[in-house]
Amino acid sequence: MAGIEIASVVKAYGSVPVIHGIDLSVRDGEFVVLVGPSGCGKSTLLRMIAGLESVTDGTIRIGDRVVNDLPPRDRDIAMVFQDYALYPHRTVAENVGFGLRMRGVDAATIARKVNEAAEILQITHLLDRKPGQLSGGQRQRVAMGRAIVRDPKVFLFDEPLSNLDAQLRAEMRVEIKKLHQRFGTTIIYVTHDQVEAMTLADRIAILKAGHVEQFATPDEVYRQPRSTFVARFIGSPSMNIVPARIASDAATVTLAGGTAIAAPAAFARAGGRDVLLGLRAEHLHLAGAEGVPARTVIVEPLGSDTLALMQIGTVEMTGRFPPSAPLRAGGEVTLRLDLDKAHLFDPETGLAIA
Amino acid sequence: MSDAIRHRLTPLERSERRLGFAMLAPAFLLLAAVVLYPIAELIRNSFHFNHLAQPWMGTPFVGFENYVKALGDDRFHEAVLHTLLYILVTVPGAVVIGLGLALLANQPFRVKWPVRLGLLLPWALPLVFAGLIFRWFFEFNQGIANAMLRGLGLEPLNWLTSPGLAFFAICLAIIWKSSSFVALVLLAGLQTIPKSFYEAAEVDGATKWQQFREITLPMLRPAIFVALIFRTITAIQTFDIPYAMTNGGPGNSTETLAMYIHKTTVDFLDLGYGSALAVLMFIVSAVITSLYLRHTRRDPGRH
Repeated sequence: MAGIEIASVVKAYGSVPVIHGIDLSVRDGEFVVLVGPSGCGKSTLLRMIAGLESVTDGTIRIGDRVVNDLPPRDRDIAMVFQDYALYPHRTVAENVGFGLRMRGVDAATIARKVNEAAEILQITHLLDRKPGQLSGGQRQRVAMGRAIVRDPKVFLFDEPLSNLDAQLRAEMRVEIKKLHQRFGTTIIYVTHDQVEAMTLADRIAILKAGHVEQFATPDEVYRQPRSTFVARFIGSPSMNIVPARIASDAATVTLAGGTAIAAPAAFARAGGRDVLLGLRAEHLHLAGAEGVPARTVIVEPLGSDTLALMQIGTVEMTGRFPPSAPLRAGGEVTLRLDLDKAHLFDPETGLAIA
Repeated sequence: MSDAIRHRLTPLERSERRLGFAMLAPAFLLLAAVVLYPIAELIRNSFHFNHLAQPWMGTPFVGFENYVKALGDDRFHEAVLHTLLYILVTVPGAVVIGLGLALLANQPFRVKWPVRLGLLLPWALPLVFAGLIFRWFFEFNQGIANAMLRGLGLEPLNWLTSPGLAFFAICLAIIWKSSSFVALVLLAGLQTIPKSFYEAAEVDGATKWQQFREITLPMLRPAIFVALIFRTITAIQTFDIPYAMTNGGPGNSTETLAMYIHKTTVDFLDLGYGSALAVLMFIVSAVITSLYLRHTRRDPGRH
């Protein structure tokens, strides 16, 4: 087991930089998820840790070794690929034992370890089959088996669930989390799915255009997003972010379109400024008489609660309401916006106003 | 079964099918005229005496006489043997060299077109050209082969006029000419192997050689097989390159079956006997091809 130390890492293809100096410190045994939209550099960073891409500048340390120039096989890592990379001409058992066989481990030990891994992943009955005879979820398990038999210092996952349907994805998420609890091995996991990031990670690194936008626990990135990018990316539905202006005495905040609302004391930090006001769906409430008038645009019942798109003046915000809420498209309601929970961002930089 | 299918056809499909047959008919008739008719004529000829230098003999039916003659014809036996040797040397040779070329061409070159062009060129060259080029290479006085030997301080060799060396030189020319086709087939096969297979192996600790044996070769099996079939079928018909390089000489030592047939009919004007030999070659071809095809039919379960 080992932590990973990424210091000022840069990646450029020719003269085109794709990663602009990333610093990340992953603790031993930690589950870190790299998340971001496509093209943000998350897979490239993972592949640099694996040794499949060269490091243009900076250092990557696994444990206490600088691995910049080590070939992948000497880094003591195992990787699960998006397409699983299972060899179609080999049985499941041969695929799982591949890494051990390549390293010259004796057949008896391979058989024992493969069986152990197969039991953990509940694929014992599949060991004699070829990958072509397996379902997507089963292949995913085999790919993980192939990684865990090696007993590496670090597991790397490159979008491992993106080829599965929603239900299987949820199931395998649980499975991966169980594995981490069982082995306690450091995991770096790449995904574009913020739900995977939130549910799996000890800490999430949100990447944007080749740099780390925020690196913190799921709770923290949810409650204290460092920028509008993080705020929009994390959480479902996305955080409502609307332009607003805070009065110079900070007594009121006026949303785009002219709706003025009493501002909480904390807004004094941005008194007299134009801001982007961020408010999560759960912080919109139906009020009795006093409140902000709004019109219901769309109602999306989810069973456990109901999402509704509300129009307030000229801006739109999504709210999360109890399923019993009397909502209908086109209806007029009065909302209470829980601005104590609101986030303020600088409209120029998109960064949170502390 | 076919009745059941016919009943399922809608009127539209039926009229489309009629149109299809009508449009195929001219091509089919043309094929029949240039392929089926000559084959039938060939087979008919092989059972007759037909020697253009002996027109007074007529063309009487002789039954299997031409075939019996072939059984006792040493030159025919030698030609068959030579052809088999060419197959045994040049087919594996072309596949091995072709595999090497394909692996080379599959490397991430920054500029790909010179590599691809270099790969295509021997393939695009007419066979006789290739034969002539190699004949110049191995020419005694000015050939590049002897120039190199002299450069190394060695005695020049009679490449094309001593049986063993001539066979070697011809094999080299055939392999050079045909390995580019093999390389093209295998390159297509290589490009279907996902990159992640190699990356996963790399992470798992496989060396490059292990990756080649564990991933490339098994994944390339179907493509290698296709290359083998095509290469063998053309090798059975080997003609142009030895024709251009040695014309079968010295003596008959590099003469192939196809060359002997050509000589029998075109040079010796013995159409009856030549036809019988051609039919025999056709049978050998068909047998070897069907063996391969049987093997492929057994194969598909693998992937």
